[in-house]
Amino acid sequence: MDDENGSHLSVVIDLSPAQWHSSAQPPPDNPYPLPLSIFLAQLLTFLNAHIASKHENTLAVFGAFPGKSVMLYSSTDPPPQTQVIDANSYPPFKLVDSTIVTRVMEEFDEQAEITDEAPNSLVSALAKALCYVNRVTLPTTTTSSKQAEGRDPTILPDPRILVLSVSPDLSTSYIPIMNAIFSAQKLKVTIDVCQVYGPESVFLQQAAHLTGGSYIFLERRDALLQYLIMSFLSPPSIRKILSVPTQDKIDFRAACFCHKNIVDIGFVCSVCLSIFCQPVPVCSTCRTKFPMKTLQRLNAARPMLPASTASPSRAASSAPQARPSTTPATPKTNGSSAAPPGGLPHSGTIGNGTARTASANESGV
Amino acid sequence: MPPRRDNDKFIQEDSDSDISIDDGVDVVKNVKGKGKATDAQRKRDKGKSKTKDTQAYTWEASYTRSWESVQEDEAGSLQSSVDDWMARGRRRRLLAPSTAIRRTIIRHLVLLLDLSSSMMDRDMRPTRFDLMLQYAREFIAEWFDQNPLGQIGVVGMRAGIGERIGEMSGNPQEVLKSIADRHKLEPTGEPSLQNSIEMARSSMSHLPTHSSREIVIIFGSLTTCDPGNIHETLDSCVRAKIRISVVALAAEMKICRDLCEKTGGQFGVALNEGHFRDLLFELVPPPAQQALTRPAGGAATGTRAANPSADLMMMGFPTRLPDTSPPSLCVCHSEIKSEGFLCPRCLAKVCDVPTDCDICGLMIVSSPHLARSYHHLFPVKAYEAVLSEDQIPPDAPKTCHACARPFLTAPTATHGGDGLSPLGRYRCPNCQNDFCSECDIFVHDVVHCCPGCGK
Ligand SMILES: [Zn+2]
Ligand SMILES: [Zn+2]
Ligand SMILES: [Zn+2]
Ligand SMILES: [Zn+2]
Ligand SMILES: [Zn+2]
Ligand SMILES: [Zn+2]
Repeated sequence: MDDENGSHLSVVIDLSPAQWHSSAQPPPDNPYPLPLSIFLAQLLTFLNAHIASKHENTLAVFGAFPGKSVMLYSSTDPPPQTQVIDANSYPPFKLVDSTIVTRVMEEFDEQAEITDEAPNSLVSALAKALCYVNRVTLPTTTTSSKQAEGRDPTILPDPRILVLSVSPDLSTSYIPIMNAIFSAQKLKVTIDVCQVYGPESVFLQQAAHLTGGSYIFLERRDALLQYLIMSFLSPPSIRKILSVPTQDKIDFRAACFCHKNIVDIGFVCSVCLSIFCQPVPVCSTCRTKFPMKTLQRLNAARPMLPASTASPSRAASSAPQARPSTTPATPKTNGSSAAPPGGLPHSGTIGNGTARTASANESGV
Repeated sequence: MPPRRDNDKFIQEDSDSDISIDDGVDVVKNVKGKGKATDAQRKRDKGKSKTKDTQAYTWEASYTRSWESVQEDEAGSLQSSVDDWMARGRRRRLLAPSTAIRRTIIRHLVLLLDLSSSMMDRDMRPTRFDLMLQYAREFIAEWFDQNPLGQIGVVGMRAGIGERIGEMSGNPQEVLKSIADRHKLEPTGEPSLQNSIEMARSSMSHLPTHSSREIVIIFGSLTTCDPGNIHETLDSCVRAKIRISVVALAAEMKICRDLCEKTGGQFGVALNEGHFRDLLFELVPPPAQQALTRPAGGAATGTRAANPSADLMMMGFPTRLPDTSPPSLCVCHSEIKSEGFLCPRCLAKVCDVPTDCDICGLMIVSSPHLARSYHHLFPVKAYEAVLSEDQIPPDAPKTCHACARPFLTAPTATHGGDGLSPLGRYRCPNCQNDFCSECDIFVHDVVHCCPGCGK
């Protein structure tokens, strides 16, 4: 490629402790265990490869912790170098590695003091990554370092965001994720997704599809580094030639506004386009009242299954492997009582527990 | 360029906050003028505001003598002053009330293009006709961006008849293709408003009740050559709840104004090329639904106005099959192909969405289509400008919470007012994090999701 500028990579890492704990469990339940330490080691190798592949390449790393998102590293504001130079390491790599590891450990220490786990903050980390990309690609706000290098500020450094997710979809985050996708489209940012652990993510599939990125569901977790390097190292301009893996199916389901269930057949208000999982007499978003005869007609036309579980369970039977995240069809009264117990619960309950607490918290909004 | 004044304090290298404005009075006056225009319409492009009436650009008023408030910065550059001016404008726009929620989002629009010989006038460059085609293309692209489930049809007026140029379609490419070839649209003869409005009306007569019907007329002539009484056509449009808007290129005609006023549309006469574009693009955002602006919340039972056009629609969200899946027959064209969308109810394969399933009749839409308009519904709360250093706790971060850009360490002099923070800090009322002015604008204009609290 004759492109003189480097490319910008923002990495969003999902650092939900409970999910990483279950990801590290030994084989019988979990065929390819991947503890956080090995994940970080492989990720850092990938990040070093990105920095090494071109001098101009820039990097930013964001961590999504429960209830909090943090910028872990950015190459525009490098941290003061306090490390003793180690003769056996290349200083730029060392700087990235030690900064990220230190910050992650600090945050985990802070998290340890908080007992009940807040919902994952992937959305806010993604929003931060977008703001950061907006900052580094905006021609009017050239940072002084860029001007010093004499680079033409109007040429975008081919930005992309790589999301490394381990959590199931949080259905409360449907609208924010969608908004993030549309802003990425506006900024011409490619969103790549690697679902490292946990079920397939409906929303992140859509994110990758709509921004022209790749979505990879990691089956062999021990091969993480290979997946990263083969699929995500090359900037989008080169991928046309390389034929990186594309996604299999894309699931276009949405989350309903009333219970935050993920639905494949929904009832949509014609005024504001809010989605409901069952016919409602009044739109809760815009307060439009719907005609009685429509309600009767729609109730008659609905699938025969009982109300709250209708679409998710039917969907699960048609494509079981792709749709496990639909289980929390719980009304909010049950939701609050189903909060995860203290400590680290068994892996099976975590995804549902988090999603339920979240829907109980947010359904009043 | 006025000489630099000694009392100006120019502080640092960066961004949009290091300029001082002496004529405080002048600025305040401008804010008022601009504020009114902002209330009247939502607009996407900054500086594109204008009046809805026929007088000259009001925004010109806000730029009157603007050079008096422009100062060079230390390096002798005007860039920072200009940036500041823009920042104020954008900030002002963010502060405008963002409550109007009820909009008809499923829209149907017929674009009526004047193809009479008067369109060959060169008073707009290169000709009225070429300019109209160019703006019509931009309008269509922008319109579909903001009204993803809408449909547009195109009708031309030439040689005394209405001519169907493009059928109603929800696919922007199809609509653009219908007006792509300018040789097929060569202007000739007299226009007929009545004939073409009747044609537009008939193409919308079958539409379901919950969609809006609109006609947008771009009219360059000063005459219309009608076979009957155009007021009868007008009455039938009023009955059919068709909203007619006219952008006139020549001068005001009584009948055009009547058409707009009686049907609730907008009327404007373009003064020049830029104004023409502004008038047209003002018709892009969905019109707020009339007579339904009662405050939400209080009325939980009973008194809600029944909105005759509102309805609940059942929709299916499909699964998209990749190019690599085993080929099978589609139900719409009976062709063998790999890619396609699966109806979630009957699992039939269709080629394209949005559509109605040919087997079970379910309306299949891709959910991102719907989601494009959700930011209208759940706007991010406006950030509050941090006005003094007392409001900053001692352990507060020194950088923007979103993009990590460093904040100013000391307030810039002579700022404040206008909702601008002298410290360049804007605080989310929800999560109490501080953001820089760039992020403030970016979050509210584009991301629609606070990077601090994720709402
Ligand atoms: Zn629901
Ligand atoms: Zn509604
Ligand atoms: Zn077909
Ligand atoms: Zn079907
Ligand atoms: Zn910022
Ligand atoms: Zn916030």
